[in-house]
Amino acid sequence: MTLTEPAVADSEAAPAAAPGSSPVPSATPRILAQPFLTSDAATVGRLFVVVSLLLALGTSVIGVLLSLGRTEAVAPADMFAGLNAYFRMWTLYRVSFMLLVVLPLLLGVAMAVVPSQVGAGNLAFPRAALASFWSWLIGALIIVVSVFAGGGWGAIDGVTGNENDAMALTLLGTGMVIVALLVGAVSVATTVISLRQTGMSLLDVPPFSWSMLVAAAVWLFTLPVAIANIVLIYADLRGRPAIAFGRAESPDIWLQLDWLVEQPAVYIMAVPVLGIAIEAVGAAVGARSSRPEAVTIIVGLFGLLAVGGWSQDYFTAPQDLRDGLVYVAFGLAAVLPLVALAGGAAELVLRGTKTPDRLLDARMVGAGAALKLLGAAALVGALRVIEPLDLLETTATWAVFHGVVVAGLIAGVVALRNWSHELLICPLSQAVGRGAVALLLSGGGLLVLSDLISAFLADDPDLMDLALDGSTALNVVAFVGSVLVAVGVAAAVVGAVSALRTPTAGSEAA
Amino acid sequence: MFTTGFKFFFGLFAAFCVAALAYGYTTGGNHVGPLSLGWKGGVGDHIGYGLLVALAAVSLTISLVLVSFRDADAAAQAHLQNLAEVMTDQPVTASFWPVVASFGVGAAAVGLVLHPMVFVLGLTLVTLSLVEWTMDAWADRATGDAAANRELRNRIMAPIEIPVVGALAVGVIVLAASRILLTVSQLEAVAVAGVVAALILGGAWVYAARPGLGRRLVRILGMVGALLLLVGGVLAAVAGERDFGHHTDETHEESGEPNGGEHGG
Repeated sequence: MTLTEPAVADSEAAPAAAPGSSPVPSATPRILAQPFLTSDAATVGRLFVVVSLLLALGTSVIGVLLSLGRTEAVAPADMFAGLNAYFRMWTLYRVSFMLLVVLPLLLGVAMAVVPSQVGAGNLAFPRAALASFWSWLIGALIIVVSVFAGGGWGAIDGVTGNENDAMALTLLGTGMVIVALLVGAVSVATTVISLRQTGMSLLDVPPFSWSMLVAAAVWLFTLPVAIANIVLIYADLRGRPAIAFGRAESPDIWLQLDWLVEQPAVYIMAVPVLGIAIEAVGAAVGARSSRPEAVTIIVGLFGLLAVGGWSQDYFTAPQDLRDGLVYVAFGLAAVLPLVALAGGAAELVLRGTKTPDRLLDARMVGAGAALKLLGAAALVGALRVIEPLDLLETTATWAVFHGVVVAGLIAGVVALRNWSHELLICPLSQAVGRGAVALLLSGGGLLVLSDLISAFLADDPDLMDLALDGSTALNVVAFVGSVLVAVGVAAAVVGAVSALRTPTAGSEAA
Repeated sequence: MFTTGFKFFFGLFAAFCVAALAYGYTTGGNHVGPLSLGWKGGVGDHIGYGLLVALAAVSLTISLVLVSFRDADAAAQAHLQNLAEVMTDQPVTASFWPVVASFGVGAAAVGLVLHPMVFVLGLTLVTLSLVEWTMDAWADRATGDAAANRELRNRIMAPIEIPVVGALAVGVIVLAASRILLTVSQLEAVAVAGVVAALILGGAWVYAARPGLGRRLVRILGMVGALLLLVGGVLAAVAGERDFGHHTDETHEESGEPNGGEHGG
């Protein structure tokens, strides 16, 4: 506590300035100045949530265009003015969903919810949290602008001088985004560790706060490795031929960073999903787990299996690493905590009130959907590491990715519904919540399914084939899935924005 | 028993000790040299080993100071001094320095690729933000009274901030005004300078005549004026200076001198 900044008091509780003394800036600035000045954790969290949902909308639209390109209705090179541009969008879609959408969305929820869950007045480092949001936003802006200016994470057809600069900017933006997310995660983790209410042990911490503590630790073990990759690539890109692997004229840059969106590192997005799901189920049916320590262990185990900095295969022969026992064991074991957590959720339902309105609550439906998609992703991940099936370098990789990402989005919707008081002004509408969850679940399910079946049909494709392969019918299924995800995200955005704008009308009791 | 600050710095002390030993033995240290600070045997690379040992010593000292003074924790101090009241923490005041720091980092990143000046500007912003941020964080917890904290902060920082901001403002005004005056024609430059001077004089006269004029209005007018000047300066810089060469050539022809004449700028 003493090494952290002091907690924010409520505006009512703040002492009035003595007569004649100089005016003291308030802890709660005016509404327009709030995004720039606030030291209130809930406001920073809300900023993260709203902006990441808007970015989710843009990213899912890119996903729709990419999957339209796969249907052969339009040639990808024509749609995106060349293969380089297609590759840029293909990589942006993946990086954006992870670093600009799911991680910040869940971090924003944590910033708003965790302090009240552990009985702290505010986050441990409120100003660092604000800096984290703005650094993340500026980094995201640099990424998006530089990618559209010809940058990105590598190219297929060679690059010009300007595109080389744009690529360097993309790398720096990526590094900035990662550092910003880590600063926010440290702030949340420190709140759980240091600012807990007196007498609350770590085992007493609510599941979501615990899952965020685990997630922050996993992010801290995993994401700095990507920063190290970026530093090496950048040094090479800016004229250091001594390091000969970051060539801008090939997709080498992407090949050094793709481990971040593949197993097991891809699961770093899913750790907080477990906490949200179990809390949402409990809140929906009004029950508490009889074995909270089991949930703690399950989430911790899943976090352990998501540490993925070691799994990059660029510097070693892929077969040495990915056919190794550890990689296979991580892939197979990831299913176990999810099965166990599903059991925990089922126990809550059995112990709770099982009325139809509670069982059909958006939180309940969403938690079930998120766990189902995550389970499906982990199952595909387990199949992917089984060597005789030969699925490693196929679209099964993206089946896992899509399952985890859409589960993260659904968890975001569930969180908006479950913690409306902290995250929004009014509760998120039941209908909007259920609708968004249904759309996201069906879209995510179709994406996972089409990618998995495509993987079984694929015949050892190279990188671009991996992006474009699959039979026509499956590609149409993937396109429909992408559209459903985009519509689901749009519904969530509309619901969240309307709940932020209407103070009384149209709101429901949570 | 052991305070958080003590644990942190004692942990650092331990880490630096381990690092010094590892560094000593991996750079040629032998026997128990790195263990005995060089009393029996070599310590390897003297500079690196010495630096790590010094950092360990500093960390140990800080940790002992912190545990002695209970991390300057208000509750602990009140307990030690048998005080009835505990000085409570104050709210974290609103601060725009985190945002400035973020923009600084962004500018540094962009400048690293595009232009060194932008990079330096970004680093300057980051450094400035860190200093101000540190002072704000310190002031927030200096005493239990928010107004006194603010006063304390201003007493230290205002003598630095006011001259620096003043110098920057003068620099920006000079730079922006000179760009505008060098871009427009000679006659227009005289007109612009005259109008601006008249506006400043008129504004000052009105303010002097009507002291009750709202500070907010004056602030808004000042900001609008500064913004206009800044935008005008940027546009003028983009447009470039007026053509001084033509006038110079005419002067050359008239005077018949090879290098005579006026050079603008």
